[in-house]
Amino acid sequence: MPWTAHDRPFLDPAVVSRLGTLELKARTVVEGLLSGLHRSPFKGFSVEFAEYRQYIPGDDISTIDWKVYARSDRYYIKKFEEETNLDCHLMLDVSGSMGYGSHHVMSKFEYGACLAASLGYLMNRQRDAVGLTAFDEDIVTMLPASSRPGHLLALLVTLDRLKTAHRTNVSKPLHQLADTLTKRGIVVLISDLLDDPDEIIRGLKHFQFRGIDVIVFHVLDHDEIEFPFERATRFEDLETSEEIMAVPGAVRAHYLKEMGALIERYRRELGASGIDYQLVDTNQPLEIALLSYLSTRSRSL
Amino acid sequence: MLSFLSPLFLAGAAAAAVPIVLHLLKREPEARLKFAAVKLIKQAPVEYTDRRRLRELLLLALRVTALVLLALAFARPFLATGAAVESTGVTVIALDTSYSLAAPGRFERAKQLAKDAVAKAPAGDLVGVVTFSDEAEIVAKPGTDRSLATDAIEQASPGFGATRYRTALSAASQHLAGRHGTVVVVTDLQENGWDAGDRASVPEGTTIHVADVGAMPPNLAVTAVRPLPDRVVATVHNGSARARDARVHLRIDNRPAGDAMVSLGANQSADATFAGAPRGAAAAVSVDDADGIQADNVRYAVIGGTGKPSVLLITGSGDANRDAFYVQHALAAGTPADAAFQVMGTGGADLAGWSEDRLTPHAAVLLLSTRGLERRGRELLAAYAQHGGGLFIAAGPEVDGDVVADVLGAGSTLRIATVEGAKPAARALAPADGRHPVFDAFAGNPASLGLVTFQNAARIGGSACQTLARFTTGDTALIECPAGEGRALIMASDLNNRWNDFPLHATFVPFVHEVVRYLASARARSVDYLIGDAPAGVRRAPGIVALTGAAAAAGGTRTIAVNVDPREGDPARLSVDEFESAVTRLKATGGLETRGEAREQEDRQHLWRYALAAMAVLLAAEGVLAARTA
Repeated sequence: MPWTAHDRPFLDPAVVSRLGTLELKARTVVEGLLSGLHRSPFKGFSVEFAEYRQYIPGDDISTIDWKVYARSDRYYIKKFEEETNLDCHLMLDVSGSMGYGSHHVMSKFEYGACLAASLGYLMNRQRDAVGLTAFDEDIVTMLPASSRPGHLLALLVTLDRLKTAHRTNVSKPLHQLADTLTKRGIVVLISDLLDDPDEIIRGLKHFQFRGIDVIVFHVLDHDEIEFPFERATRFEDLETSEEIMAVPGAVRAHYLKEMGALIERYRRELGASGIDYQLVDTNQPLEIALLSYLSTRSRSL
Repeated sequence: MLSFLSPLFLAGAAAAAVPIVLHLLKREPEARLKFAAVKLIKQAPVEYTDRRRLRELLLLALRVTALVLLALAFARPFLATGAAVESTGVTVIALDTSYSLAAPGRFERAKQLAKDAVAKAPAGDLVGVVTFSDEAEIVAKPGTDRSLATDAIEQASPGFGATRYRTALSAASQHLAGRHGTVVVVTDLQENGWDAGDRASVPEGTTIHVADVGAMPPNLAVTAVRPLPDRVVATVHNGSARARDARVHLRIDNRPAGDAMVSLGANQSADATFAGAPRGAAAAVSVDDADGIQADNVRYAVIGGTGKPSVLLITGSGDANRDAFYVQHALAAGTPADAAFQVMGTGGADLAGWSEDRLTPHAAVLLLSTRGLERRGRELLAAYAQHGGGLFIAAGPEVDGDVVADVLGAGSTLRIATVEGAKPAARALAPADGRHPVFDAFAGNPASLGLVTFQNAARIGGSACQTLARFTTGDTALIECPAGEGRALIMASDLNNRWNDFPLHATFVPFVHEVVRYLASARARSVDYLIGDAPAGVRRAPGIVALTGAAAAAGGTRTIAVNVDPREGDPARLSVDEFESAVTRLKATGGLETRGEAREQEDRQHLWRYALAAMAVLLAAEGVLAARTA
């Protein structure tokens, strides 16, 4: 069910799509999200001490300050300011299938780019090193991870210049990137995953094997999830240009079943591999995806 | 052949075009969409476009057919057979079987003429046979098998009825049923076959041929028998162009009671008198006439019964000839032998001296004046009416409303008021219910009553009374009020040419006759009947008949005499042109009859039910198919 402006504090993707530059979009989304989080639940580990807090069952006992216990006979845990040295790699699918968009909102590619920009902005704000890899059947553009000042601008410019074109081969770029990464970090995959699921899952597990956390944003258009078409339509594949004449009423049930099975398979198999999987409807606010990222990042620390 | 009772509804089948038009209007250019997950669509089970299109065409056909069936059902289809479908002509032979054809050799000639007509009927025509006298009977329905028609003619025989052409042509027209056809009337063209002013209608385009059997042979007929207390008088008619002597025989209770000779001039009648009081129940008078018509050679009469209902006129002085001149002459119209009623007059004052037994034998009492009518007389009239008598009150200038208030009994609601000093104002009379028996004589032309001008009228009414006629002013003119077992008619004017000119009009006599006949019918009193008028159940043959049960009224047994209509013996003849001039060709008659037959056939077949059932099945199939196609 699409979000409405009345039942959520987040920005409608349609509104975001009308913002001028990608930087403005990213900043609007991220600042809006962070200003809404009054007390950040993402406090993690840092070298700079922040405060003591009484131990609560469930807290990691390694964080108990034993000196304080010796003095007061009470359990306290130390809390630190966040500080990271993670490398974050954003992988954005720019294959032809990402060019689909309906309802006069963002296409999957635009949504993915905006999500990548927002994540980049967020990571940069948290002083994480962020890199970008755009791919279709091969790696199209690659921007190494960096936390240098000005890197965010380079990332946004790169995103802004991307265009969808070719066929998808998700697994190949995944393997290529996995092979090049040497440092522990996070890989964020933004794709519609309309490729061979076995190959994609294998490619993602490659990162896991290299000790790299993976977050998958499975970006789908609302039409692709609901298949709301009524009239008999000649459907043309965005990548192969293959055409098929179909009566939606006749194929809807099967399509929804297949799409549901595909999503469920990704959710199940990626979840089993410890890979965060997030289905993103382009009708949903970008903040939802960002919150998912923040949740994963906190766990990885 | 499939025909339709209401073919206009077939226009509703045009509604079948609605789904087609909608389909064409809603047809949109093919939609194209660039889509990402085409791979998933491809994996769906293939429903070939051709198959789907076929299914959709089938759906369209089902819907269109259902609409067509609905229109078809409303058009009331039927498989027309017989008259409703045949475009071939029909020839109907109307064979006269009246007793005038019973003279030796005449009916054989009539049958030969009828058979010739069958043989000469156009090839392909259906041929039917109707026999007629005063009743018509279809003895062979129109069909292709002409031997059936010939056999029916061969088996026909003359009866005792009188000729009525109208009856014959009506029956023949029914079987033409709107098709072009020919009616061949085989008859002796008797003038009396047409009643005065009588006309017959046949469908437009019907050809009428007359096959003339020829003039009647010289004939002697007994036209009346009057058993009187001291003698029996029989009237014998000579229907030939030369004078004849006739031998007349009287039989009482089937035993010879006398013979007489009577000399008759050409086309003249004479009475034969048999002296001596007739002792017995029934008399039969016959005349020797071996060469003439046989059926009118004998006539029957009941001894002791006049054969005519008696009507009592109550006037001021009792002199009916003076106080009720018009009514008396209207009731006694015709020769003494032909008069339908016996009329008797008495004064209102004299009625006080009457007993109930003396009043009861009268079939009807006409109260024309209340002058001198005392309480005893009113009570007598009330008892008379209560016990089944027929009472007519002419509320004219000589009738006092207060006096007659209780003349129908204590519980009567009848009110009669005379408007004193009212200025005469011309008004006419119009039947409120033309179906009432008193208007039987005017059924063909009720407007003729409107020619009578009423200058004055009393106000009559009663909560339990039924209005039969009104004046053009809206006032009540004629009412019928309940009166025990009897009948009472009250007219708001007189019958003596004082407040109106009714007695001067031709409608007066039939009106008075119908009124008296209606009043008298409460008690069956007549003992003399013609064959055509005989009570139901009486065999159509002349003779003495003993009625029992309901037909005898008042219980017990009643003996009546049934005779042939003496008019049938009249040798006066029509020309063929005169015969045809009395026939009207009606445009609509055929169509209506055809429609009537078509309706009967449709009623028998009820094909619309099958059409609706088929439509229901189609709609059910459409529902299933539509659910699968969606």
